[in-house]
Amino acid sequence: MKDDLLFNLDHGYAEGLCRGFKSGILKAADYHNLVQCETLEDLRLHLQSTDYGNFLANEASPLTVNVIDDRLREKTVQEFQHLRNVSYEPLSTFLDYITYAYMIDNIILLITGTLHQRAIGDLLPRCHPLGSFEQLGAITVADTPAQLYTAVLVDTPLAPYFIDCISEHDLDELNVEIIRSTLYKAYLEDFYNFCKKLGGITAEVMCEILAFEADRRAFMITINSFDTGLTQDERAKLYPTCGHLHPDGLQELRRTDNYDAVRDVASRYPQYKILFEGSGTNSGDKTIEDKFFEHEVKLNMNAFLRQFHFGIFYAYLKLKEQENRNIIWIAECIAQKHRARIDNYIPIF
Amino acid sequence: MTLCQLFLQPDAAYSCISELGELGIVQFRDLNPNVNSFQRKYVNEVRRCEEMERKLRFLETEIKKDELPIYDPEDNPDAPKPREMIDLEATFEKLDHELKEINTNADALLRNFNELTELKHNLTMTQGFFDDAEMAFTPAHNRNQRDSDDDQVQLLYEYSMISHNKLGFITGVVPRERMVAFERMLWRVCRGNVFLRQAEIPELIEDPVSGEKLHKTVFVVFFQGEQLKNRVQKICEGFRANIYPCPENPHERRELAMGVMTRLEDLTVVLSQTQDHRQRVLAATSRNLRTWQIKVKKIKAIYHTMNMFNNDVARKCLIAECWAPVSELDRIQLALRKGSEASGGGTVSSVLNRMVTREQPPTHHKLNKFTQGFQNLVDAYGVATYREINPMPFVLITFPFLFAVMFGDAGHGILVTIFALWMVLKERSLKDKWRNQEVWTIFFGGRYIILLMGIFSIYTGIIYNDVFSKSLNIFGSSWRVRFGDDTLAKHDSVILEPTPFNYTRSADYRQMFSGTPYPIGLDPVWQLADNKITYTNSVKMKFAIIIGITQMGFGLFLSLWNHLHFNHRHAIYLEFLPQIIFLACIFFYLIILIFYKWTSFDGSKATDAPSLLIHLINMILFSYKTDPPSAAVFYTGQKQFQTFLILLAVLCVPWMLLGKPVYRIIMNKRRANYSTVTNHAAGNDSDVEEQHQEEFHDPAEKRGVVLDADVRDTDTEDMLDDEHSHQQHHQHEVEMSEVWVEQGIHTIEYFLGCISHTASYLRLWALSLAHAQLSEVLWHMILHLGLSMNGYGGAIASFFVFMPWSSLTVFILLLMEGLSAFLHALRLHWVEFQSKFYKGEGYPFVPFSFRLLLDEAPVEA
Repeated sequence: MKDDLLFNLDHGYAEGLCRGFKSGILKAADYHNLVQCETLEDLRLHLQSTDYGNFLANEASPLTVNVIDDRLREKTVQEFQHLRNVSYEPLSTFLDYITYAYMIDNIILLITGTLHQRAIGDLLPRCHPLGSFEQLGAITVADTPAQLYTAVLVDTPLAPYFIDCISEHDLDELNVEIIRSTLYKAYLEDFYNFCKKLGGITAEVMCEILAFEADRRAFMITINSFDTGLTQDERAKLYPTCGHLHPDGLQELRRTDNYDAVRDVASRYPQYKILFEGSGTNSGDKTIEDKFFEHEVKLNMNAFLRQFHFGIFYAYLKLKEQENRNIIWIAECIAQKHRARIDNYIPIF
Repeated sequence: MTLCQLFLQPDAAYSCISELGELGIVQFRDLNPNVNSFQRKYVNEVRRCEEMERKLRFLETEIKKDELPIYDPEDNPDAPKPREMIDLEATFEKLDHELKEINTNADALLRNFNELTELKHNLTMTQGFFDDAEMAFTPAHNRNQRDSDDDQVQLLYEYSMISHNKLGFITGVVPRERMVAFERMLWRVCRGNVFLRQAEIPELIEDPVSGEKLHKTVFVVFFQGEQLKNRVQKICEGFRANIYPCPENPHERRELAMGVMTRLEDLTVVLSQTQDHRQRVLAATSRNLRTWQIKVKKIKAIYHTMNMFNNDVARKCLIAECWAPVSELDRIQLALRKGSEASGGGTVSSVLNRMVTREQPPTHHKLNKFTQGFQNLVDAYGVATYREINPMPFVLITFPFLFAVMFGDAGHGILVTIFALWMVLKERSLKDKWRNQEVWTIFFGGRYIILLMGIFSIYTGIIYNDVFSKSLNIFGSSWRVRFGDDTLAKHDSVILEPTPFNYTRSADYRQMFSGTPYPIGLDPVWQLADNKITYTNSVKMKFAIIIGITQMGFGLFLSLWNHLHFNHRHAIYLEFLPQIIFLACIFFYLIILIFYKWTSFDGSKATDAPSLLIHLINMILFSYKTDPPSAAVFYTGQKQFQTFLILLAVLCVPWMLLGKPVYRIIMNKRRANYSTVTNHAAGNDSDVEEQHQEEFHDPAEKRGVVLDADVRDTDTEDMLDDEHSHQQHHQHEVEMSEVWVEQGIHTIEYFLGCISHTASYLRLWALSLAHAQLSEVLWHMILHLGLSMNGYGGAIASFFVFMPWSSLTVFILLLMEGLSAFLHALRLHWVEFQSKFYKGEGYPFVPFSFRLLLDEAPVEA
């Protein structure tokens, strides 16, 4: 109650901004119009009549999907950074936490890129701007995780997450994926605890979202690790422990070795049962990833139903990302004249 | 206002719309509201226009980058013909291409230039390091003079000598803010096995890649061995440091430096030439830029309009629907004819066809720059319902007048008038100045309102005899003080009586009042009186009541006008009559009493004159006491008469409350009977009728015409209108409860409103009192200080005191008080005046006009 009273003192403006941004998210009617577009030019024309306004107006024809992608990302990043700039503690820390996920992605992207002998100059522009930090470019120096830690990550906020992966093994692809998962696990747990510490509605909303995120990762790690060299114990180490699956579900996931077993585990949790039941591996069905995305969107939408909490900032960014993915999907379908699957975007409103 | 249908030849449509756009008196309706913006007919043309706009924007940014002036065209270019559009496109394409080429060339050159500049700095700075090192390496006798930094350098060299292992080094340039992180990273990765020297480049350097101006630092890293070299290189890459080769041998270094210098000089020449070329191209462009922008904007607007038209394939024509004022139809016809001719001998000219519709047309007022501001005041409350009486012409006078009653001070009025006059007289030159200053545009938009407010304030100021809180004695006061010195010395204050019956030493008193009042306004002698406020309060309050009730009564009569125009005869008997009788019985009567009291009581009877307030209260309470003399009656038979008035007024309440709903019930019944009769009697005929009906309604419904279903606007005729009755019959029965509620609210609102609104008009007195008192306080507390001092000190004090006095006068009295009086006047008009007759449920007429289009979106946007 006290928090509610004083919330607007520090964060009212940012919340207002965020809710304003949120109302610019495309509606079902907009998507309905977008999928009817014949060319990318039509897409541009239609986006003009939405909240995107003239963001593509200064691009020369012909338009490519890459340009649209860049502009979309630029716009999202701009909005997020504006929010970050007007935020006070503890909101600013909260927003920083959101960016850590992008840092992890960037690091992994660069390492895999260098493993494939790509020049660092080509890789850097492909990093997500929200997750860039000063030392990012020098990541190629490192050959082993230990070097990565001492040279690059020790100064970044990611350092504490990395403690578990320090080893003298050379970096290879499996290694990198494990590093990513370990980092994510540590990050999610830390973020979860941070939100818990913030308390109030923020904790209620964010913990729900992060718990789902953790469970999703656990499921995906399990599914993706079949037929790889990963042992069950190694796998279990990568599961984030802040989800609803913890501890029993994770124990059982550890022992599974095929998709149906995973489905069995999920069927004990009503919220995941529905998701697994609705998905399939046939061409017409929705994949489990899409189902997860839909569920995520729903959780994020719910965040906006409550007031005086930070969850909406996280939710907004995630929804915006989903929207960008949707637009890009539609744009790709249009560009490649592959209209049959154009409706496979994930509706937000 | 009439709904028209335009049949346009596809070829002629463009030029016709262009003519209509120049004319700007037609509002087009969107006939394809369900069609997506990118599925419309002329979407390609719109897209081409957008492309052109993009190129123009590009050109404009380039011109602005070079800070060249952009010329505004004097004349208004016509919308170019579709054929010219291709030419325009070609021109823009050429310019765009040319400029881009120049830019790429210049960019390449510039990048080269920047790289060389960095290299130059790099060389000069590293030269310093090596010189230091050399110095350090010279014999050791000056060793003790060296600082610790040199020690390090020397150690380095000694080490290299001992190990016989030449140290490698890399030099480069890195942005200054990344230097710290860079250094730390180097130290971490190489475990402290490198030696770094750095020097800041004093000036801003353009980065070769991004072209931004940055502070940069030159660095030299010394290291040993190939592995370290690789790592250092990787880090440099990661930090986007630009690495430059630097020969190890001093002689080569010098040569390289010389080479760089000469190449730099060459590049400067080439760069300036490209820049000149660019300037020439841009200068030529900037002359035409605005014209082009206007042209493209017009083309785009035309195609947008044409996208709203219905495309009739069978008859090969475009069908447009538009609202147009009936009085302008001739001009529209003329424009259409001109358009068809301009398009080159369209065989079939365009046809304008008036249509019948039940839809409410948009409201259009013919305005000029003088009335515009006042119309804005009215429209801010609500746009008039179609053909409803527009209060603007009355507001034109009453608004400044009510303002002035509250703002009554001739001195302040003069200042306001001068300010407004300046704006009005300099209108032309001020129009485009400070266009983006919101506060200024508000003032400027209301310049005529302010002018009238100022002039009226001067008038009321003269009536109140108030100039900066002082009175003017122009005609000479009608009062004389003829007391002897001894009388004055004895008393603190003396009383001037117009009829000195209390005093016996008569001769002097009789001449104190000259017998004729001061010719205009308040007698200046009141300025000296103790009871000035008591007196002015009484006068101002009564005037406020008189003005208020008159204005409300006037508003009621305007509602009569509305009823007559809309032919709502029942409303006259059931609404207007009870309303006006109620107002007359209580409030007009009060005014009559006020005037009666003013005229029939003079100074001799003043002490036992009846009190108006007590009278009004007693009138409603039916109590007629005789106890204090102020409660005595004005005239004989007052009791009977007043009782009659009150009863009449009370009678009005049920009259108005029940009248309209009962009337409606009766009408419903009658119509129900009527329709059953016709249905039974003429069974065959009704089929025909229905068919006819369908014919009438179908096209209208297809076009999305909303049938008028508003209860209040459907009157006798509408109800008897048999076309309507079928459809509305059902609706009305459902809405009866709504009618009751609405009428109840309406009734309560009016009768309570009459009382509260009358009280509300007392703000005229209150604000005027506040204004007068404030300005008096300002005078006495500030300016008076200086003026009351003697000698030279007084002159100096006046000088210093004038500044705060004048600024406070302007800010508090003119701006703040003015704003408050403005808002109160606005409220009195919106709430007290307009509520009597004005519905304001219309929507504005927004004609398709190039002028509006170009005005509202300034070209530089």
